[in-house]
Amino acid sequence: MFDYILLFVVALSAIMAIVQENLYKSIVILGFESFSLAAIYHFLLATDVAATQAILGSALIPGLFIVTLYKTTKGRDE
Amino acid sequence: MEPFQTGAFLTAGVLIVAGFWAIIMMDNLLKKVIGANFVGDGVNLVLIGIGYKPGGLIPEVTPHFHASAIPSTFSHFLAFNEFAELASYPLPFALVLTNIVIGASTLSVMLALSVVLYHKYQTLSVQKIFEAMEED
Repeated sequence: MFDYILLFVVALSAIMAIVQENLYKSIVILGFESFSLAAIYHFLLATDVAATQAILGSALIPGLFIVTLYKTTKGRDE
Repeated sequence: MEPFQTGAFLTAGVLIVAGFWAIIMMDNLLKKVIGANFVGDGVNLVLIGIGYKPGGLIPEVTPHFHASAIPSTFSHFLAFNEFAELASYPLPFALVLTNIVIGASTLSVMLALSVVLYHKYQTLSVQKIFEAMEED
């Protein structure tokens, strides 16, 4: 049952991350979607892929997005 | 086809459609990059879902198989043909493992190009970037 809930969570959070206006919230939802996708890979019997997706998708990629967002909004807020 | 496999394919379809919608319709460059990430995730989920077998063994971490084991003497070991029937299909796993790393590196290149465009035009909106390019 939990795996089907995870599938629904991934589909819903993908749509939420795209519709969201605030880009910081969108990036946090992107990391949440990647971690749920790693759990789905675990339920699909691909544990090595799950480990790689959990590291890259929920730590490295949102970090790169946040650095980019900081560098592109730095002058606008002041 | 198994129900969970069907659900995985449907979720991958939602991911790919939402990603392409963001790439085509959204105005912000970062939203387009997020959409490209979703398309890659959906393709990875399709490839992983092909190799799924319900109740199967995990090929990498299973303790039940050794290549030179004789099943009559080691009763908890499986012969190769029994292992191959029980385990899930491991070829897409290796492909997707490479595809995740390549996706992360191409995503970082896309983000770096977004920063370069912002330094040139002082905006991330594609509409305003096109207008500024036509004025030049």
